[in-house]
Amino acid sequence: MRIKSWIALTRVSIMDFMQFRLSAFVMLIGNIIYLIVIYNLWKAIYASVDNATINGMSFNDTMIYLVLASAQFTFMEAYLVWMMSRSIQSGKIVLDLLKPVPYSQYLLFGLEGGNICAFVVTFIPTFIIVEIITKGYIHLGINTLFYLVAATLGMLINFAIDFFVGTICLYTQSTWGINIMKEVVVLFLSGATVPLAFFPETLRKIVMFFPFHAIYNTPLTFLTKGPELSLAESFIMVGEQAAWVIVLILIGKIFWKLSERVITVNGG
Amino acid sequence: MEYVIELKNVDKEFKVLNRHEGLKGSFQDLFSRDYKIIKAVNDVSMNIKPGEIVGYLGPNGAGKSTTIKMMTGVLQPTRGEILVNGKVPYKNRTANAQNIGVVFGQRSQLWWSLPLIESFKLLKDIYNISDKDYKDMLTLYESLVDIKELYSKPVRQMSLGQRTLSDILAAFLHNPPIVFLDEPTIGLDVSMKAKIRNLIKALNKEKNTTVILTTHDMGDVDALCERIVIIDKGTMLYDNDIEHLRSFFGAYRTLLIKTKKHPEELTDDEKKAELDNVEAIVKEAFADKEFTFSSTDEGWCSILIDESQVRLMKVLNHIQEKIKVYDVRLEEISTESVIRKIYEDAENMKKAN
Ligand SMILES: Nc1ncnc2c1ncn2[C@@H]1O[C@H](COP(=O)(O)OP(=O)(O)O)[C@@H](O)[C@H]1O
Ligand SMILES: [Mg+2]
Repeated sequence: MRIKSWIALTRVSIMDFMQFRLSAFVMLIGNIIYLIVIYNLWKAIYASVDNATINGMSFNDTMIYLVLASAQFTFMEAYLVWMMSRSIQSGKIVLDLLKPVPYSQYLLFGLEGGNICAFVVTFIPTFIIVEIITKGYIHLGINTLFYLVAATLGMLINFAIDFFVGTICLYTQSTWGINIMKEVVVLFLSGATVPLAFFPETLRKIVMFFPFHAIYNTPLTFLTKGPELSLAESFIMVGEQAAWVIVLILIGKIFWKLSERVITVNGG
Repeated sequence: MEYVIELKNVDKEFKVLNRHEGLKGSFQDLFSRDYKIIKAVNDVSMNIKPGEIVGYLGPNGAGKSTTIKMMTGVLQPTRGEILVNGKVPYKNRTANAQNIGVVFGQRSQLWWSLPLIESFKLLKDIYNISDKDYKDMLTLYESLVDIKELYSKPVRQMSLGQRTLSDILAAFLHNPPIVFLDEPTIGLDVSMKAKIRNLIKALNKEKNTTVILTTHDMGDVDALCERIVIIDKGTMLYDNDIEHLRSFFGAYRTLLIKTKKHPEELTDDEKKAELDNVEAIVKEAFADKEFTFSSTDEGWCSILIDESQVRLMKVLNHIQEKIKVYDVRLEEISTESVIRKIYEDAENMKKAN
């Protein structure tokens, strides 16, 4: 019967998203400004070197990657940490804890609808525009299906990290700094702001030991390097993501279970 | 199972940091181990039978919400035992949530931007309510209050009263055996309060739901509760039925006098001045007797008189000699005065010790 709750929460969060068309619009504008800035930034970077490609990526490759990354950001970022810290500080969390659905599931499915909507409203149009402008740069095939799976898993990894960081908010009032720090770390180490190909060799190796690259780099690789990936490689990439999902959700649940005492014993 | 709720010698202590002032203080606090213990609930015991409406009363900070939170399972008692529906509430809280409903004051569990009916549909699915039960419940609701016209209204556009009403209906929707209402009538106007009281009473009757209601509005108690529990500073002062309370104070009567033509137009300060004046007059003449003074919402002065000490008419005659009295009302002791008296007695006992 849990599934019924999941569907109901997703449904409600989709309707909730629809109520905020304006904020979707603001998000879109913000995204366009961001793209104009990085377009000029990378143009300058490529103009300053003689080669047409840097680290194996041409200017076009880089731009397409970053456009898709920013479109992915708009549907993956659910501002969970803000939400959790607000409901902890206002005390509203008490009502959420008294639902017959575990808190983490209540949050996940209460946000998922928004993710799905933003995917339809921002990612798909961006994807189509990129395809038209680049005359089919992104290969359409099995790799696009892999992208959908990888993006879903990436979203779950992102959720698990947010849930973990949100749980830290139980211990401190200064949640602003924690949230900013999380944003910077996740967006940088995941390859959302700079493609991992541009990282120095050692840093790139280190980054691969962390789950962050599985949020942005892995799904986006299916789009930008689609045909080059063998089926076996594809399954390994998705498998690694799935392993991270399991590990991080487990860690998040345990940390939450331990931290819940802040509310149940200290009263929040 | 005889009782749906059992509390046995329940204590709740909060550990709070002794905060220091200023920027330097904030840094000190980061590493401070300077805690003090606040005893929010102190040795509270009670047993509640199925279908009872219990009024849980006390002034601000008495420990009412803390007790409710322990009964729902979001707070763990420091000492003592609690059983709700025969289970320890904080163990397996998520599963136990199926068997309780809660409303916390002005905090809403409804989805803010969505029409009310969408929140109800969500609750239907997460509490796994069958189609038939859901439909029957809505039919019952519609027969009790004008809720139909609110179904399509987004919650954020509702008045406080409409929202409270909706939140109460949401708490009863899965027909739990127990519903906790923490100050459900706070901030509402008189007619909305009456509406909500009728609703709670009707739902309790119809579904035999046990209702624990915290309030400091005596009107709630008079309208709803057969039994009251009074708590102050974490300690239980009284637990008995309301009739018993009244007969216990049988010798007491309340004298209400109107000292201004339109006392309802006075500000709170002016009402207080009127009351102080009357108090001075009475105390001067009957220095050795005990009275309890208060003003009503309408600006009348209320004097609780123990007729075994002094006759009410004697007091009234004396007041009339001193000031102009526009109107007089006599009342059997009101619950409000009784409770005020219980607080005062508890205070005096503490001072005496
Ligand atoms: N989380 C908390 N941390 C520290 N003290 C608390 C906490 N919650 C309540 N208290 C204190 O416990 C006492 C009882 O509070 P509460 O149960 O909210 O009272 P009531 O609901 O009767 O107004 C108050 O002194 C309050 O300051
Ligand atoms: Mg309270």
